[in-house]
Amino acid sequence: MSVDRRDFIKILGAGAAGLVVGAVLGWATKPSEVQEITRTVTVTTPGVVERRLPKATVKIGVLGIRSGLWSTYGEFIEQGARLATEEINARGGILGSRVELVFRDEQADVVKQARELVDVENVDFIVGIDSSGNALRVGGIVDELGKIVIVTHAATHRLTEELVFKEGKKLIFRSSVPVYQDGILAAYIAKDLPVRKWAGINGDYEFGRVSWELFTKTLKTLRPDVEFVTAHWPKFGTEDFTPFISALLASDAEALHTSIWAIELVTLQRQLTAMGGYKKFKAVISTLGYSMDVVYALGADYPTAELGTWVSARYMWLYPPTKINREFVDRFKARWGRLPAYSAETTYSAIYMLKAALENAVSLDPDAVVKALEGLVILTPAGVRWIRPEDHQAVYETPYGRITHKGVEVPLLEDLKAVPAMLYYRHPPFM
Amino acid sequence: MDLTSFLVQGLINLYKGSLYWILALGLVLIFGVVRVINFAHAAFYVTGSYLMYTFYTYTSNFIVSLIIAMIITGALGAIVEITIIRRVYKLETIYQLLATFGVALIANEAQKLIWGKGVVYISIPETLGRSVDFGGITINYYVALIIVTGLLLFIATIVFMNYTITGLRTRAVWRDPVMSEALGINTRLIYTLVFFTGTALAGLGGALTVPLISVGPGLADYLIVTAFIIVVIAGLGSITGAYIVAILVGVFSSILVLIVPELDIVILYIIAALILLFRPHGLFGER
Repeated sequence: MSVDRRDFIKILGAGAAGLVVGAVLGWATKPSEVQEITRTVTVTTPGVVERRLPKATVKIGVLGIRSGLWSTYGEFIEQGARLATEEINARGGILGSRVELVFRDEQADVVKQARELVDVENVDFIVGIDSSGNALRVGGIVDELGKIVIVTHAATHRLTEELVFKEGKKLIFRSSVPVYQDGILAAYIAKDLPVRKWAGINGDYEFGRVSWELFTKTLKTLRPDVEFVTAHWPKFGTEDFTPFISALLASDAEALHTSIWAIELVTLQRQLTAMGGYKKFKAVISTLGYSMDVVYALGADYPTAELGTWVSARYMWLYPPTKINREFVDRFKARWGRLPAYSAETTYSAIYMLKAALENAVSLDPDAVVKALEGLVILTPAGVRWIRPEDHQAVYETPYGRITHKGVEVPLLEDLKAVPAMLYYRHPPFM
Repeated sequence: MDLTSFLVQGLINLYKGSLYWILALGLVLIFGVVRVINFAHAAFYVTGSYLMYTFYTYTSNFIVSLIIAMIITGALGAIVEITIIRRVYKLETIYQLLATFGVALIANEAQKLIWGKGVVYISIPETLGRSVDFGGITINYYVALIIVTGLLLFIATIVFMNYTITGLRTRAVWRDPVMSEALGINTRLIYTLVFFTGTALAGLGGALTVPLISVGPGLADYLIVTAFIIVVIAGLGSITGAYIVAILVGVFSSILVLIVPELDIVILYIIAALILLFRPHGLFGER
């Protein structure tokens, strides 16, 4: 197609005009930046030497998925971080220093965001990260960043087993239970169910593959009579599971294991119900089925199988029945209007972990804080967390439970089955 | 695979194919008659889904919400045609692409403003949520509904095109717009009607799937790409051809997604490319 000069200039002009209009509109509709206003209260007792941090403000960078279909997960991380920060600042901060948060979208090139948090925003610590892929990417450059990163969601075991334990990247920590929950603990639940033939439907990426691998390996040792009839691998972002479901229905499986999560899980459950999956499968294990976004979305339509729909998450608001957890749930509900999602608690606790470590180390030097975090035992809403020194993984247990519709606001869980964390976590040297 | 599982799989493939057909028909009509590549087709599909969600939440009446969603989407399409598309008929294809692409972007942002960034669902209505057992095969009513709708649509289009005056005029404009204009056919009206119908069909597709697949911003893009591939493979001359190809593509992609998930869309692209090489007018095209 030949274009004469006039047309060319017209096209250029239109393009430039479009860019200008877009830029002006974008600038005009930019949401106003949130300002944190806090007061620092310093308490001094006469005769006591003040323990103070070298800076009046401790800055924490928060990474989460803030765009696209999974952007609610970035919100959960933000909710947890903000609640912790507001509580801490209201009570005088950390040794008198105020806590400030900086939020970035991990989907917008996580390596670039991490570098900017450190070089431009001058954060002292980084928390968050939803995606396992992004966690490994940040883990890869953590020594260059020179700051402690506490992962609060990404579940790949490779983060702690390989990067921390094998490669010695001491700046990485994780406050949330990893894929052991979806693979190994799920097998402990499966072993007590009177079914022999299992099918799996898991995402075709690291997390999905590892969940199924750990599940099948563990269950085979616990119940040698078990048979794995079929496994399917929908791609990340699948909206239509019907071809997979019809293949599952055509198999002779009696029960189903899935680590599919968030929006996809809601769609999977609805389509599975619509196609009669709950008439076929006597039991369903959905490893992230009690994530609050799924619970709220499915609500009264949350399907229950004959022997139960067994679900878990990385923290569930109704466990453990301790005062600290009940009060956290109440405060969270008052602040955000909903029950806490698991990554809100894991991020909330990550910030409290930092506070405890800083109060111990009385220093912002990463090596000193690493030492203070290693071996830390801290009571958090999810329970007692022990930061294992060898792999920097927080050890605590979250149970599985059966979905029941006896709740008023959301479906509840009954028959909670908790297995000691020491039994279902993998241990160094991770052979 | 034994016979029952084969038949079960076949039903799902038919459902997928019927869905693609509903989308492809709208594209074929708009492309064939109005001669515009409607990049905004996905946006109308999603609009239909959102409208279905809103009206069903208010009225709890499936059929009524479906019809309203369809008509409003069609009306929006007609408005777009009258205000924007008309101005680019005489221009080169690139302006048409830009225009429809712009409509798609505006629609996307408008949807985010009205319905938020999250995903919305509606439950399958009670009566349609049931399944019936036919000798080992579970037939889900809703899946059957989509298959039947596709079939009825096919029959309706054939009847309309071949047995009504407006259908005759549409076919005339499809063949030769200049001659039709010369013969006194109101081509402008036909264009608007076809655009209305095409986008209403996209809206119908969206409205039908929202109980089964949730709707959110940008969710329809994958479906639309496949619909475009169907149009390319089938060519622009034949309604029947488009139906056959759509069903085949539905069957094909459902099977592929199970066996070789990494390759499914790639194979379709390769087939489309090969057909373009050897039969540029598509398998059933005429010009």
